Amino acid sequence: MKKLQKQTLIGMRDQLGGYPWGDAEISELVDPKLGIITGLQDLLDQLEELRRVDLGATPPAAGIRRK
Amino acid sequence: MSDATAFASIGELARRMRGREFDPPGLLEVFAARIARLADTSRAFISLDLERARERSAAIGDFQGRGPLEGIPYACKDLFDVAGVATTAGSRVLADNIADRDAAAIARMNRAGAIYLGKNNLHEFAYGATGENTLYGTAPNPWDESRLAGGSSSGSAAALGYGLCAAALGTDTGGSVRAPAALCGLVGFKPTFGRIDTEGVIPYSWTLDHVGSLTRCAADAQFLFAALARDYRPVEPGALAGLEVGIPETFFFERCDDEILAAVEGLMRGLESAGAKLRKVAMPSMEHTRSVSLAVQMPEALSYHNRYLDERGDLYSTDFRAGLALGQCLLAEQYIRARRFIETYRREMQQVFDDVDLVLTPATPVIAPPIGSVEVITDGKAEPAGNAITRYTSFFNMTGHPAITFPCGMHSLGLPIAAQLVGRHYADEHLLETTALIEREQDFEMPLPPVA
Repeated sequence: MKKLQKQTLIGMRDQLGGYPWGDAEISELVDPKLGIITGLQDLLDQLEELRRVDLGATPPAAGIRRK
Repeated sequence: MSDATAFASIGELARRMRGREFDPPGLLEVFAARIARLADTSRAFISLDLERARERSAAIGDFQGRGPLEGIPYACKDLFDVAGVATTAGSRVLADNIADRDAAAIARMNRAGAIYLGKNNLHEFAYGATGENTLYGTAPNPWDESRLAGGSSSGSAAALGYGLCAAALGTDTGGSVRAPAALCGLVGFKPTFGRIDTEGVIPYSWTLDHVGSLTRCAADAQFLFAALARDYRPVEPGALAGLEVGIPETFFFERCDDEILAAVEGLMRGLESAGAKLRKVAMPSMEHTRSVSLAVQMPEALSYHNRYLDERGDLYSTDFRAGLALGQCLLAEQYIRARRFIETYRREMQQVFDDVDLVLTPATPVIAPPIGSVEVITDGKAEPAGNAITRYTSFFNMTGHPAITFPCGMHSLGLPIAAQLVGRHYADEHLLETTALIEREQDFEMPLPPVA
């Protein structure tokens, strides 16, 4: 997977719809400074690893029921 | 009445009111006087409603014996709706958001006779575990005011820690009740997912949000849970002898402050002496848990906040805006996959409980960090302060298991140390009863904080 570029996020913002985030938020995603979120690149790398795990037919988590 | 009354347990307060030592209006004035003195220092409250509290307390008058919460003053994180009061979530975005009815949890507390005092400070919209809030200030730790109370239920922990209420409600999406309680020498409890109604509480992440309580002891947490749960079932008093306690082989005792490890190991020895059986347990892999949690949290948070972004987007803090922007950049399949991982975590964790009754861990790997800390260092490795604070708690928001943190010692730096116990789904009552038993038998008498 190639490294995430700021221009990619600007393209997503402009072409896919959704809230029009400004330069500050998009810059934080590609070069995090605030120390609270991981940064989108690191998260995407981890999610790509998870994509390779075979979960079989496990469904998404739903409610928890009393046995 | 002395200020020490403000640090008494609910059980003791109820006993003293039954004995006519004081009545609910008298008790309320103890807290009101401390609030007048310490509300600014503690930054615990966003709003106060002492006038209505006095009216409700006067309406009770003498203690009627309706239950242990009758006449007990409590506060709630400013995510809970209270009719006629602004629910701000600690944000400029909702400064004018007046609720037209009580949240389900507030209605239940009020029906039990508890007296609502006011709304507690928090990390804006519960986004973060440090409890820092640029609008309302950062709640300090009652044991050391240069340190964090922790978050996101920071004001709830500070209010109780400073002796400004007898109990507080919070929300816990990754540890936001349990972690600040642990850092402030209190008991933090989050139930099995769904057992306390979240209706009327501003959501952060529907998959992970739990309503929980902060109290001075586990017995008090039992009183609150009995009032708050839709389906509370009392259990017979148990015994520590024969209790099977799981000790995770990996992750939960790693990269942890040495004194915290020593305190929890002391608790383990105490449990064994009381006849409990400790055994190592293999937990699900924790390698990707934070990423899984984030991949669920941020799209869900964005989905809720979309209603405000167009009109009020500029009123959000910079860090939360960046978090919401992240939620917009994930693919739908990544969100669904993360939800599927959560299901695997739940199943694997259920298997752990095939062999043990409870799992024991430290509550946090660090004591309360100094205010302003961006990172903390454990075993030479730097980590964002908020991530460290919730490192041992957040997994159980994904699995939905009931979990409680409770003090088990004092650090040489004068700050509390806490342990965490986790129980089976729907065994909340057993978890609370066992923790209360541990508190009684293991004699963790906590000193009062300097602010007492």
